[in-house]
Amino acid sequence: MTAPAARPRPARRALDELSLPVDASLLEGFAAGEPDWLTADRRAAFDAWSSLPGESNLLYTPYIDLRAAQLDEAHIVVRLAPDGASSEGLPADVAGLIEVTDGRLSTVALSAGARDAGVVVRSLLDDLDAVRDELTDVTAIAASDKFAQLTRAAWSQGVLVDVPAGAVIDRPIVVRWAVGSVGQALFTRTIVRVGDGASATVVEEFVAGPHADPTAAQSLFAGTMEVHLGAGAALQVASLQELPTNVVAFEHRAADIGEGASLQWALAQLGGRLVRSRVDNRLVGDRSSVKQVEIVFGSDEQLFDLSSFTTHIGKDTTGDLLSKAALLEKSRTYLKGLITIERSANGTDSFLGEFGMNLSKAARSVAIPSLEIDQPDCRRAMHSSSVGPIDETQLFYLESRGIPPDEARKFIVLGFLEPVVARVPLASAQDRLRELLEEKWIAGTDGVAGEAAA
Amino acid sequence: MTATREIVTDQREKFAFHDDITYLRETSRGLTRATVEEISGFKDEPEWMLQFRLRAFEHFQKRAMPTWTDGLDRIDFDKIVYYRKPSEREEKSWDDVPEQIKATFERLGIPEAERKFLAGVGAQYDSEVVYHSVREELSKIGVVFMGTDQALKEYPDIFKKHFGTVVPPEDNKFAALNSAVWSGGSFVYVPKGVEVPLPLQAYFRINGENTGQFERTLIVVEEGAKVHYIEGCTAPIYATDSLHAAVVEVVALPGSKVRYTTIQNWSNDVYNLVTKRAHAYENSTVEWIDANTGSRKTVKFPAIYLRGEGATADIISVAVAGKGQHQDTGAKAIHLAPNTRSRIVSKSVSKDGGRATYRGQLKVSPGATNVVASVRCDALMLDDQSRSDTYPYIDIQEDDTTMTHEATVGKISADQVFYLMSRGLTENEAQNLIVQGFLEVFTKELPMEYAIEFNRLVKMEMEGSLG
Repeated sequence: MTAPAARPRPARRALDELSLPVDASLLEGFAAGEPDWLTADRRAAFDAWSSLPGESNLLYTPYIDLRAAQLDEAHIVVRLAPDGASSEGLPADVAGLIEVTDGRLSTVALSAGARDAGVVVRSLLDDLDAVRDELTDVTAIAASDKFAQLTRAAWSQGVLVDVPAGAVIDRPIVVRWAVGSVGQALFTRTIVRVGDGASATVVEEFVAGPHADPTAAQSLFAGTMEVHLGAGAALQVASLQELPTNVVAFEHRAADIGEGASLQWALAQLGGRLVRSRVDNRLVGDRSSVKQVEIVFGSDEQLFDLSSFTTHIGKDTTGDLLSKAALLEKSRTYLKGLITIERSANGTDSFLGEFGMNLSKAARSVAIPSLEIDQPDCRRAMHSSSVGPIDETQLFYLESRGIPPDEARKFIVLGFLEPVVARVPLASAQDRLRELLEEKWIAGTDGVAGEAAA
Repeated sequence: MTATREIVTDQREKFAFHDDITYLRETSRGLTRATVEEISGFKDEPEWMLQFRLRAFEHFQKRAMPTWTDGLDRIDFDKIVYYRKPSEREEKSWDDVPEQIKATFERLGIPEAERKFLAGVGAQYDSEVVYHSVREELSKIGVVFMGTDQALKEYPDIFKKHFGTVVPPEDNKFAALNSAVWSGGSFVYVPKGVEVPLPLQAYFRINGENTGQFERTLIVVEEGAKVHYIEGCTAPIYATDSLHAAVVEVVALPGSKVRYTTIQNWSNDVYNLVTKRAHAYENSTVEWIDANTGSRKTVKFPAIYLRGEGATADIISVAVAGKGQHQDTGAKAIHLAPNTRSRIVSKSVSKDGGRATYRGQLKVSPGATNVVASVRCDALMLDDQSRSDTYPYIDIQEDDTTMTHEATVGKISADQVFYLMSRGLTENEAQNLIVQGFLEVFTKELPMEYAIEFNRLVKMEMEGSLG
């Protein structure tokens, strides 16, 4: 492959420097027509962005690399023309659907059952004052993260999913972001509020928008998901990221988990050129729990920089985190995990697993599973990690059953990633994910076979 | 089981003493280019060494203080005496050692140890080796074991060939500091095919308030040769902070085997910032057996660069952090060649508000195919005022590496204590026994006398925690 000859070589940058042009005049664009409290919030976040280093945690400073982002020409979306969102097209197996296309609300639909239960799904912009507490909550977005703070300063679209206390919503609510319009830098916030004793399921999809062009200049998408779980609440979130290969994505997820509440994350990272994700789980309430599974299937020159911070604060809390990365071609992952057990957190059970499978000699997998523990009175505090090739014994076994070697390899790799696929709570999304993994396997291994033949 | 219920007494006294020595030569406090020149002048060194020191000094000044570990900003470089010579020349036999210095070592038990099985003693008193004896048999088989300063004069070629090649001055701020002002340490050279039949031992001590100790150890083991080097440290207790910044370089040539054992028990006012690194060539084996119980703060990650095909690295790192202590220790295995293996085992105990940090790196570089590596970290916390951190860095850039890593943190199981108490042990004894069992992976690698001494140290630490 040859790079377009006309494009000038990008300027040499520090590893933690993002090429996106950002200046203070940005805030003036937002201030007109917005409440003062929001302007103040953006201002504070902008100041934090200006002063923070690219990687806030000194532990991980050597493992950040934003040089693949070529966003010098990108422009930050400040204001969009009014939306004409459709309320049609709600699939039968979902409770709600909200779709945002290149920043504009394109679909908002809710099932009658969900509406009757008091569920609200809407754009944050529809009523800012109603979510003022959530929007200004300083713990809702990682305060120490430079790019999370930029998102807080520059968001122009947002989604609210509100499930009132006691409501039990069986079918998933789908939040779909269709992005990738050439040269666009879009920042968004998503707030998910699940009241006391309520339960809900959210499927988040990041897909190519109608104006996406993988061969054009890069675009940026940076979004949050801010989760507030009341006492005894239960939330499952499945996220499927299949962005075009010229999109740089920043994902910032943070959850406050109340007493006895439980949260499950199933995160699949497949697309994008450079993906930087951070999940902050704060187990505040006694007996709260979080289960997080994350998979990466990388190919080409993709870089996945995934951090996960789990803080045990309440008593008898449980954390169970698993990250798996299978890497083709020249793809890279940085899996950075930190479990913190505070002195107040007696009776903690915490596990962090980070596993890698390098399928090519040019792939690179970095795992930094860390622990910081102030309270030894725990049920379990451990992490484990491994990196290995495809298990020859498994391969031999499958081949002995008459499965051709290439097929057998595919089974093993897809099986390695299955823990997340199995947790996607929507059949159509699950099928879609399996299909994507298989497509990616074929594209990635054909490349290798081609090289070998040449 | 017959439980001998020995009354445990605080033996800190035994290690906490200092003598008033008349220092014959010393530099004034603080570090300038002139200090470096002065040290090199005192030692009458060749020009290349002076240039090496100056290059290191310049880097030290430029290099920022590391911020990834805390508390280093408390070191006041201007208050330190960088060179202090306790006696005019190196002594060849024990009888020639000045009485006062000898008395200090008597209390550390060196002569007794030597009578038993010491192959040679390099006793570092403050900043220079004052006493050195090498058994005749070692000289006969061509093994060189002497002070580093002396080796620079007597073996200039071997010295120049390897010195600073494993840890260049630019490696880190404290390696730069050591390279600028180094003094003393041991030099070991084992010729091709020679197996040193007994462990080589060196005792290091710091004496004198605010005396920096910057020893430099260089171990070169030729093809097919084998050696075990042991260092143990004790230091007098002082109220103000002392700095110890050592550099240890090990060159393990093809087919050789090197084991380096350390028991670090500096007094609790010492900042112990050490760079230890080995280069392991084809089919060689390097082992770091490293225990840290003393010091106020230790920052030390014994490293092995597996440079030759088929090389093996084995690192056992043990840390005990008590009141006011931070043991920031760990290990590094850097795989640069195919078919190399590494194993890292780390055990830490934190108590009485102490903090134990495991920081480690496992790296498999492109081209290092068929690597097998494992990292195991276990931490025991004895109370909820203490802290334990685990920061492993795993960076794999090959597709056929087999790497496993596991880490656990926990407290002493109440069931185990209950069981032992039902057998007649006191709670303290039961906990002590459990801690000793937890650290056994280290203790069992020690020569017997060291194992006994180490268990005694652990016991003493445990007593302190509960008394």
